[in-house]
Amino acid sequence: MAPSADFSKRVEDALANAGLRAALDRATDQLGSRRVVALATLSDSDATRDAARAARLDAIAHLPEYLERFEAQLVANGARVHWAETPEQANRIIADIGRATAARLAVKSKSMVSEETHLNDALERQGIEVVETDLGEYIVQLRHDRPSHIIAPIIHLTRQDIGRVMEQRLSVAYSDDAQTLAAYARTKLRQAFLRADMGISGANFGVVETGAICLVTNEGNGRMVTTMPRVHVVLMGIEKLVATMADLDRCLKVLARSATGQKITVYTTLVRAPRAAGDLDGPEELHVVLLDNGRSGILAGDTAEILACIRCGACLNACPVYRTIGGHAYGDTYPGPVGAVLTPGLRGLREWSDLPHASSLCGACRDVCPVRLDIPRMLLSLRHSVSSHARPRSLGPAMKLFAWIATRPSMYGRAAAVARWWLQRRARSGWIRSLPGLAGGWTQSRDLKAPPGASFQELWRARQHERARPRGNEDAA
Amino acid sequence: MSARAAILARLRNAQRTGRVPVGPRRPEPVFETPPESGSETPLSRLLIELTGLGVEHHVEPTPDDVCARVAALVGTRPVLSWDGDRLPYGVGRVLAGAATGRSPRDSQASMEIGVTGCHAAIAETGSLVVLSGKGMPRAASLLPQVHVCVVRSGDVYSTMGEFFTKRALDIAGAACCTFITGPSRTADIELTLTLGVHGPGCVVVVVGP
Repeated sequence: MAPSADFSKRVEDALANAGLRAALDRATDQLGSRRVVALATLSDSDATRDAARAARLDAIAHLPEYLERFEAQLVANGARVHWAETPEQANRIIADIGRATAARLAVKSKSMVSEETHLNDALERQGIEVVETDLGEYIVQLRHDRPSHIIAPIIHLTRQDIGRVMEQRLSVAYSDDAQTLAAYARTKLRQAFLRADMGISGANFGVVETGAICLVTNEGNGRMVTTMPRVHVVLMGIEKLVATMADLDRCLKVLARSATGQKITVYTTLVRAPRAAGDLDGPEELHVVLLDNGRSGILAGDTAEILACIRCGACLNACPVYRTIGGHAYGDTYPGPVGAVLTPGLRGLREWSDLPHASSLCGACRDVCPVRLDIPRMLLSLRHSVSSHARPRSLGPAMKLFAWIATRPSMYGRAAAVARWWLQRRARSGWIRSLPGLAGGWTQSRDLKAPPGASFQELWRARQHERARPRGNEDAA
Repeated sequence: MSARAAILARLRNAQRTGRVPVGPRRPEPVFETPPESGSETPLSRLLIELTGLGVEHHVEPTPDDVCARVAALVGTRPVLSWDGDRLPYGVGRVLAGAATGRSPRDSQASMEIGVTGCHAAIAETGSLVVLSGKGMPRAASLLPQVHVCVVRSGDVYSTMGEFFTKRALDIAGAACCTFITGPSRTADIELTLTLGVHGPGCVVVVVGP
């Protein structure tokens, strides 16, 4: 079934889940207010956001040139660069690297792009075990669940949910204490870090001038994945570049502040090269896989600006729709306002045409965006594309007929009288529950009040007639 | 056509549609941070930030005091450290018998305290910067539950931008550069702050002369 067909169903499920809505309220409120406090630590947060926006738009505007220079710099540093047009190509490249290095266990730090390509499944099919190491993603993996927030993947789960899945899957004593649960994960994942042959990470930024891959994590799993295994593979979208280290600095100033309300993430790692001669640890091989998967198509269209997104998740916390329905209802890797623009771009507007409509266009996403993306404008542009492609064929002549009638007052009056008579016949106790044909869309999710017995024109004429009578002029009406 | 050629060709075509908005001009990087108080120095700001992050810190007047402080912090617990010649103030002499980056991986992983120097500290954010290199295993600041970091007061920079500019050559010479800002943490479980998930749950800074 087309994913869009499920959208209303997914929304209904989310709305029926009271626990989910309480969790979303609590989490998005907290993240949102932490962001405000963190931005206030900047002397001029508006100027800082402008600078970050400029840095990212510069990279998007020069993408092919910058990618070539980035590649050359990486190669000069001793890394190997691979290009993939599709998720399948990316997964095959990484599986081949795994096979060539005889990898059996891969540890992975959080990567949205790898969710996009379903990398874990692809590697498991090749006999390579994959372990997610971000605490939230690890629990998602244990539950065979899906992340529901860009930076807080298990925002939809309670401590009790997490305690139960750990008890079942890790054979540990049940607990609902966050510290205990985190300690269980530390013990389990530490073994994986020490045994793994291969580390897989995403990239928060790629720096063109130095060929550095910038990774931010709070837990330290990003450092583990890029330090302990023999081979490190970076899977990144082609849009994640910044030109210079100064531009990286501009973006890092707003990323953590907008995401978690920290000035900077606990660990900001810049990986430039495989281990150097004399280094005692670090990967012997560094591979960078550059994935397109629809991004070049987005660059050509009206929503090119969305490629400048730095994935902080602030627009999710601010969005009244996300706060109500949560991440799963969006149906794909990227939820919230950014997902409503990005998913149709990456996966096709035809199948994902509901997402641009999952917004009240209130503009809260644009207000909080650290790179000031005009998401409402892009949503409107996508809606326009949907309506110009998906408008029913019968609608054109119907609108022409309506225009012809509506511009002729006597004709309009007569047509309205007929319509009123027809609607009144369908009403039960003053309400109409369903309409046939195209008009049925209106009554799909709400009832229509039955029209009154007479139109304003009729009432007005009757009133004038009434007022005229006492003056004794019987012919005035 | 290779994937590379196909992607680059599509991107060049897309550029011609000119749909990318033009951004504002980028301001020149600023290296000063707004002071929290009138008499602030980079070092005093660093200490304020470290306090905010829950990082215990000690400022010692002489190299001997630094060594004594590190010895007291370590006590009798097993240590994983950088090579002695990489540690400032001769701190290596109080760490006899410590595991190093050449010890077996499992032995490194079983040490309780990691002792390292650092290449810079960033006042604005309270970050410690470690570059990878000879005798300076990344594991020492990562695997143990406690990380003791020795900072030379001359290595404190106001901002990350200043460090990027003034130490560009050092960064370009290292395979890996890491900014460590407080203890390892997560808030994945109901946004409850939990320390020491994968990296050290406790960071201690000793600043020398």
